[in-house]
Amino acid sequence: MHRVVITGMGCISALGHDADGHWRACRDGRSGIDTIRQVDPERLLIRVCGEVRDFDPVDHFEDRQLNLLDRVSQFAVFAARQALADSGLDLTPDVSRRCAVILGTGAGGMNTLDGQFHRLYAEGQKRVLPLTVPRLMVSAAVSHVTMDAGIRGPSFMISSACSSANHAIGEAMWMIRTGRARAALTGGTEACLTFGTIRGWEALRVMTPDVCRPFSHKRKGMVLGEGAGVFVLERLEDAQARGARIYAELIGFGMTADAGDIVFPSEEWAGTAIADALADAGLAPEDVDYINAHGTGTAANDVIETRAIRRAFGAAAERVAISSTKAVHGHALGGAGALELIPAVRAITDGVIPPTANFTEADPECDLDYVPNAPRPASVRVVLSNSFAFGGLNAVLALRAVA
Amino acid sequence: MDDIESKILDIVARETRQDREGVSLDLEISEIESLDLVQIIFAIEDEFDVYVPQEDESFKLDNLRDVVNGVRLLLEEKQAQSAQSA
Repeated sequence: MHRVVITGMGCISALGHDADGHWRACRDGRSGIDTIRQVDPERLLIRVCGEVRDFDPVDHFEDRQLNLLDRVSQFAVFAARQALADSGLDLTPDVSRRCAVILGTGAGGMNTLDGQFHRLYAEGQKRVLPLTVPRLMVSAAVSHVTMDAGIRGPSFMISSACSSANHAIGEAMWMIRTGRARAALTGGTEACLTFGTIRGWEALRVMTPDVCRPFSHKRKGMVLGEGAGVFVLERLEDAQARGARIYAELIGFGMTADAGDIVFPSEEWAGTAIADALADAGLAPEDVDYINAHGTGTAANDVIETRAIRRAFGAAAERVAISSTKAVHGHALGGAGALELIPAVRAITDGVIPPTANFTEADPECDLDYVPNAPRPASVRVVLSNSFAFGGLNAVLALRAVA
Repeated sequence: MDDIESKILDIVARETRQDREGVSLDLEISEIESLDLVQIIFAIEDEFDVYVPQEDESFKLDNLRDVVNGVRLLLEEKQAQSAQSA
């Protein structure tokens, strides 16, 4: 068994084009939510989202590469490059052969799917672009990260809706822990703010038309986001041997399936996933200083998540700090766990718990400490990061400061 | 029973997979599964060509009777609007 550490982070989101910018906005509760630009807002009921701004792919990719890259792959490759550079990992042929690339995505190449099918159905054209299939396949982003970086180890995409990134990161951690990979690039990516996708979310009636207020009374729902977060994971001994900067240690992973409702979450099985992550990490609930919550801001999630935490933590639930950073970056679905692992890590390294922004009024059914509105300086040693997906697929990560 | 009431009861019976006889105006919204409810609202919007507002305090729906009255209200609003623009 090997201890697994994070040595590099990369990110693109509504909050910025790097992990540090993303973190600083999370820490300050500065929102990246605004009126959508990719779709004509006049055609939508829900017009706000956490959209990546000012990202021109021409600045980052050559023509030949651009033809092949859906927006979801652009984000993944862009964040992966940052993470690798940040880690200083030297991808020698031996390291490359044993490095894994495991990412999560919910929807895959949705911009390509939406755009090319629009040609057929709406514009009456006879054909779609020849590279439609390799652009939209759900695993495309992983393939492009391997090609861009020259990584040749075990590589695949994981898709479990809103838990995709956490499943990917947890699996990558377990692969290194058990010796099946020597290092990994892992995280999640999503870019599905298309007209068709947003109309689909509207129809579910879980979206707020204005402000996302996780755990707050009278919250109106979630707001969609997009982006990617990618991390370099290595064995602790490898990172130490090469003198790498170590952000934190990934120490636990728990996952369950509700086997219940396709959209309504289960406090029992979300709670069991939390308990499993603690058990995998060898932690007691009292050890946990901070939980980066799934915290979507829907009426159902925030109550069920509160109860799930109570179920797993018992009395210790009263003193753990909990926040949802989705209020500022939106719900990036398959990328959510990756966008949220960054503030989870930086809470440890910086000694600051990021707040739940937009918090107005306590909900009697959400009765824990949600760190409302203002960052909280604190000594943070152990953190959990929750993801609970539509379809009842739950994935919880545990991380710890490396002394 | 008028046409609006009858159509809504049809929709609810269909979406909750039960006999029409088993659905009454007293059915509490809280007794309907969330997923069925979303389908019901969608079907009502399709049937009557209206938009059922979300998160509207003035649009309190406790049971199917409220739903029927709400749809009546939406249809009146729609009629008033088209009369205005005509």
